[in-house]
Amino acid sequence: MGAGLGLFPLEYLAVLDPFSDEAKSLVKSSPPVDAMPLEIIDQAINRVKWSTREMVVPQNSKAIRDDVLSFYLMCQGVASVSYPYSREVRLISDMTRDTIRYRMYDLFKRGGEDFCVRTVQRSIKLVKLDGSDLDIKIPTEDIRKLRDQEMEKDGVDIVDDHVLPQYMPRYAVRWVDLSPLLRHRRTELTKLYLVQGWAMLTLRDLWDFYANLIGVKTEDYIQSVYERMLDSGSPPKSLVEIGKRISALLPKGPELGEKFIRVSSRRLRPEFFPPCISKALNGVGAGLRNYAITMLLTSFLTYARIAPPSTATRIGDVVDDISVVRDEIAPLIFEAAERCNPPLFRDQPQEKASIFYHMGFGMTIEPKISDSGKSKWYRPPNCTKIQMSAPQLCNPDEFCRKIKNPLTYYFRKISEHAKTGKGEKT
Amino acid sequence: MMREATPEERRIFYKEEWNKREIPDFILHSLSLREFGFDLDGTGPSHRYNQFITVEQLENFMRNRAPYSAFASVALYERPSAREGWLKSELVLDIDAKDLPIRSCSCPPGKVCERCIDDARKVAMEFAETLSGDLDLHNIHFVYSGRGFHVRVTDESVMGLEQNERGQIVEYVTGGVVPTDITMALGYSKVFRERAARTFNALNEERLLGIRGLRKTVIQRLMCEKERALKAIRDGKLDEIFSFEGMSQKTFCSLLGFLARINSGFADGKVTIDTKRILRLPSSLHSGVSMKCTLVRDIEHFKLESAVPKFVRERNDEK
Repeated sequence: MGAGLGLFPLEYLAVLDPFSDEAKSLVKSSPPVDAMPLEIIDQAINRVKWSTREMVVPQNSKAIRDDVLSFYLMCQGVASVSYPYSREVRLISDMTRDTIRYRMYDLFKRGGEDFCVRTVQRSIKLVKLDGSDLDIKIPTEDIRKLRDQEMEKDGVDIVDDHVLPQYMPRYAVRWVDLSPLLRHRRTELTKLYLVQGWAMLTLRDLWDFYANLIGVKTEDYIQSVYERMLDSGSPPKSLVEIGKRISALLPKGPELGEKFIRVSSRRLRPEFFPPCISKALNGVGAGLRNYAITMLLTSFLTYARIAPPSTATRIGDVVDDISVVRDEIAPLIFEAAERCNPPLFRDQPQEKASIFYHMGFGMTIEPKISDSGKSKWYRPPNCTKIQMSAPQLCNPDEFCRKIKNPLTYYFRKISEHAKTGKGEKT
Repeated sequence: MMREATPEERRIFYKEEWNKREIPDFILHSLSLREFGFDLDGTGPSHRYNQFITVEQLENFMRNRAPYSAFASVALYERPSAREGWLKSELVLDIDAKDLPIRSCSCPPGKVCERCIDDARKVAMEFAETLSGDLDLHNIHFVYSGRGFHVRVTDESVMGLEQNERGQIVEYVTGGVVPTDITMALGYSKVFRERAARTFNALNEERLLGIRGLRKTVIQRLMCEKERALKAIRDGKLDEIFSFEGMSQKTFCSLLGFLARINSGFADGKVTIDTKRILRLPSSLHSGVSMKCTLVRDIEHFKLESAVPKFVRERNDEK
C-alpha cells in the first residue's frame, strides 16, 4: 500500500470514490469480464442488498480492489439490462449513495474524519470553519437552530457528546460547487444556509452531499456505458447475466413489473425529443428522407416508446400487443414521411414496408407480434453517426452536450422533468 | 411618453441619437459570440440568427434598418449565426412592471406607469442584494428594459449553470419557497422573511381573503395591527405571530404559502431558466413605449427621464 493519509492508506480513497484515479488504476489492471473471479461477480450482485456491516471495506489491497471491481461490474451489468434513468439505475445510484455515506460515517467513528474531509476536498472546495481564514460570523442562535434541524431530520432527540459533533455546522463549501446536486435536485438552494456564497455544513451534510455526488456520477457512468453498448451491438453475455441477477434482487415497482404494464405506462413525450428527432418529425427534403424517416425516426421512436433493456433484440420480447407499434409509433413515422418534400411514400412506396423491416418485422406493411425477429430491430444511431450521415439534422442544443445518443437525451429529459416535480402522472 | 414610436421616429432615433458607446461593455466584449435578433416592423422578433463580428457592423445595421426592437442573446456561442456551440449564458432576472403581482399604482393590466416601474426598480435592487450577499455573485448589471428591469449577472461562476440550478436561484432570490425554519438570522430564512413582509405589507383584506383556511376575523386582526404583524414576520418572532388570536400553526403555514406564491411572481422564471433567451439590447429603442432600453449605472437613483429619447422630449415640447 502507498503513502497514507493519517490512519488510512491513500489507496483506501478508492472505496469512497470509485471514480478517483486510485480506483481507475485498479480497474485498468483488472481481468476481462469473462475471467473475473466468481467472488467479485457475487459481490457485484450482492451489493444491492448489502447491510451496513457489508458496506465497510477492510483496509487491505485485496478488499479494496474487489470493492472497486464489483462496483464497476454492477454498473455495467445494470447498463446491459436496463436503460439510463430507469428505476433500476436510480436504485443502483441510491444504493451507491447509501454505501458511500455509511462508509464516511464509519470512518468518522474510527477517527478518520480528516481522511473523509481530504477525500471530499478532492471533489469539492471545502473549508473548516474553525481556524480558517473565512471571515464569516454565524450567530450562535443560528448554529443551534441548524444543529437542532439536523437532529430532528435524523430523529435524534438526545444530545449526546459523542453524537453532537456530527450535527454542528463546522464546514463550508461554495454553493456553486454543489451545482451537480442542485441540477439533479438532490439538494435545494433554499434548504442551504448561505452566507457570502458559502453553504454551512455539518458533518452529516458533508457525508450526504458527497455521497449524493458519487450517486450522480454513478448515474452518469451507467449512461455512458449504455451509450457504448448501443453503439457496439449487444453487451457481453456475462454482463447481461450479472445485470439480470441484480435486477432480480431489486424491489419490484410499477416499472419493474410485468412487461406489458411497463410498456403501457410510457407514452411518448414529444416535448422531450432531441432537436434532430423534432426536425425529422417535421419532415425533411429529398436526399435526407430515407435516413431521417426510415433509419433515425423509426429506431428512435420504437426504442423511446418501448424502452427495452439492451438485451432485447425483438420488439416481441417486450411487447405483446401490436397496437403499440401500429397505433402509436407507426402513425408518427408515417405523418413525418408525409411532411417530407416530396412526401416519402409518393415516390418510394416500398419505404413503408422498409420502416417495419427496421423494426424487426421483416418486409411487411401489416406487422404482427409473431413477425418480430424476422429482420433486425435497428438501434438508434449515435450522435456522431447522425452528424456524419445527416449533418443537416444535427442542430444541438445545450442539453446535447451531456449525451451521445438521442435516446439518452429523451430518457434524461424525462427524468429531470420528473425530478422537478412537473412530471405528468402516467 | 409610453406611446408607440412611428417608423419616422425610429429612423430619427437611430440616425441621430443611438450611440454604439451606450452598449454595455459586458455585451461589447463578447459581441461576436452573441446571437442578435430583430423585430424589424413591430410584428415580432422573427429576424434571428444574426452575428456581428464588429460593433461597426452592428452600427450599420441599426442605422440602416432602424429596427422596431433589437435583442441580443444571453448566451455566448461558438457559432451564434447557427445558435450552435453553446459556451455559457448570463444569469438573468426579468422584472416586468406590467407583470408585478402587486403594484402600488392602479394601472390597468398590461400597462405601466412611472410608479410601477419604480416598484420594479426596488424589486431589482432587492434581488441584486441577495445575489451579491447570500450568493456572493459579482458583475451584476441593471438594465432598464422599457417596461421594467433586467438584472444581468456575468459572474463566471454561474454562467455555466443549467436550467435546474437557475430555477432554484429564482426561487431563492424571490422568496418563492417557504423555508424549513423562518426564524434564522441569516440565510434563506432572512431572505424569505424580507420578501414575505414586503408582500404582506402591500396586501389588503380582500386579497388575504383568498387564503384558504384563514378566517376573516384573523385577517381583520392582522389588518388592524398591520405594523405589529409586519414586524413579527420581518423579525421571525413566532410568539408574536401566534399572539394574534386565531392564528394557529396551520393558519400561519397557509399565510406563508400564500405569500410565497405571490413572491415567486415578482420575476419571470421562464426567462431565467432559458439559457438561449434573447434580451432587449441596451442602447436600443423600445418602440412599443418609445423608451430607450438602457444600462443603469446607479439603480438607487435611476430616473425614468434618463431613458426618454430626444424625439419624445421634442414631441412633448411641441404639445
